[in-house]
Amino acid sequence: MTDYEVHELMVCRVAAEVDDEGVTVMGSFTPLAYSAYMLAKMTHAPEAFLVGFDAVGMEPFQLSFTGAEAAAYKGAVCRWGMLTEINSIHLSNHGGVEAVSSAQFDGDGAINLSVIGSFDAPKVRLPGGAGAAEVIKMYRKMIAYFGKHDVRTLVKKVDFVTGTRWKIGPESREAANLLPGPIVVVTNLAVLVRDHDERPFRIESVHPGVTPEQVVEATGFELEVPDDVPVTAAPTDEQLRLLREQIDPFGTVKFDFVSGKDRLQYLASVLDAEWRRAEESIAARRP
Amino acid sequence: MSVDKVVPLGAVGDLVHDGASVALGGGWFSNHPMAAVRELIRVGRRNLHVMTIVGSVDVDLLVGAGAVGHLSFSMVTLEAFGLAPNFRRAIEHEGLAYTEYTGLGLLIGLEAQGRGMPFLPYRGPFGSDLPAHYPDIYATIQCPFTGEELTAVRAVKPDVAIVHALRSDAEGNAQWDGTSGPDIDMAKAAGRVIVTCEKVVDRSEIVENAHMTKLPSYYVDAVIEAPFGANPTSHVPVYALDAWQMMEYAQAAGSDEFGAYVERIRTESEQQYQGRVLGDGRGELLAELVAVARVLERQGQ
Repeated sequence: MTDYEVHELMVCRVAAEVDDEGVTVMGSFTPLAYSAYMLAKMTHAPEAFLVGFDAVGMEPFQLSFTGAEAAAYKGAVCRWGMLTEINSIHLSNHGGVEAVSSAQFDGDGAINLSVIGSFDAPKVRLPGGAGAAEVIKMYRKMIAYFGKHDVRTLVKKVDFVTGTRWKIGPESREAANLLPGPIVVVTNLAVLVRDHDERPFRIESVHPGVTPEQVVEATGFELEVPDDVPVTAAPTDEQLRLLREQIDPFGTVKFDFVSGKDRLQYLASVLDAEWRRAEESIAARRP
Repeated sequence: MSVDKVVPLGAVGDLVHDGASVALGGGWFSNHPMAAVRELIRVGRRNLHVMTIVGSVDVDLLVGAGAVGHLSFSMVTLEAFGLAPNFRRAIEHEGLAYTEYTGLGLLIGLEAQGRGMPFLPYRGPFGSDLPAHYPDIYATIQCPFTGEELTAVRAVKPDVAIVHALRSDAEGNAQWDGTSGPDIDMAKAAGRVIVTCEKVVDRSEIVENAHMTKLPSYYVDAVIEAPFGANPTSHVPVYALDAWQMMEYAQAAGSDEFGAYVERIRTESEQQYQGRVLGDGRGELLAELVAVARVLERQGQ
């Protein structure tokens, strides 16, 4: 078995939630989510219907900071406007799976992408939620992922509810004209799942080397801990090969796991590689 | 004889007044009307009410240049390059007035205006704290037929929309090939529409590609030729995101150098700007980044 890093494990676990039913809308260029969609489409879910930029339906593509949009364009089966299609996808229950992340997340399935502190005098003004507020409520599955599982991110109650799952159990979702499906949270420590109105999140699995106690300690909201918590399934050799050689050879996913001042340096090195490939392509055309 | 709506980039200042509400097209790092944004800075526009679905460098630059009095948005982000520094600073420390919408809320508000409706109803965003903060925008209503509880969003009417197209004829029949994002719905909602485009072409070229016309001329008031007009954001399939300029921007915006950064934009012409950022083969490279972008094969194909 090939050695792997935790971000690769997370990509594979998010990918496992992507299926052939319904549409996935790709919003912000979030490499972890994007690579999960591409991996799913290249393996177990070839019919997964991806919508991103103005490509409505597309082939899987290689991730890069400068080329993702162009690759989506090239593999598109339809090119359309944002409002026209996203509106219909979100509002008429075509949405299947979309993976989101946020500054804070709580046990009710609420995300905060608005403010840390008070709304009117924020300590940190966050970017805002774009479509996330509607997506996490309306989509069949809510997938959330966090590169740093700690009590600052997975909190008891978010400072501000930008959006929320709203109805969680299958009966209450159906009664509200929403497709039933779980909330799945994939972090660098564990996988948490909730699909019941009353019961809290439960630990579905812990990653290798992590104990359930560590997960409970790093989580600000209540968790149900089963007697036997399995270890998260390791990526297969084939998944790792596709991720490293085809989907993300530039290492865009790892970028989100680099912190502090190394971060910009890492980004610069990825951009260097992207620049060089284009430069070599131009040089190859010259006589 | 059709109407000729072509004006120079310098006319942006005549079409957008201080205090106007201005919807900016594009989304994330795609296709923002950056040449027009730079022109708004050159002419020193103030107190604009800027509207964006997902803004990035367009919004952050205008805020940093002191051009914005109010911001309506569902997201403002520099993505990999971090939180938008001027947007943050202006809200956290300078009290910039803003209205935060949910993404669909703002889109549906534009759609309502485009249909001449005072509001449109939809399902959601139930559970979000945003509607309670903005009772003048979001309201709860009942379906007159079933009694179901719905959210009404008030129509959004920008004074001006500025969008960047691939090409347009002189009359304003504008075409997109890649990302048009929210451009069409902003244009339909706005009182006045400025189309900047990579190239102004003869009507025959529009007719040949009629399926790509997304904005017919009756919506359009002014057409401006602005090659590389979305740079440093992308205009696929012509050129990709200029990530290196974004890096420079993000570093400048978070530091004391930002005043000098804005001053350079204010004092150089669009032609000088292009010479600076696209010279030395950089323009060709930004186009090549589109060419080398790679589609992957699914298994069994």
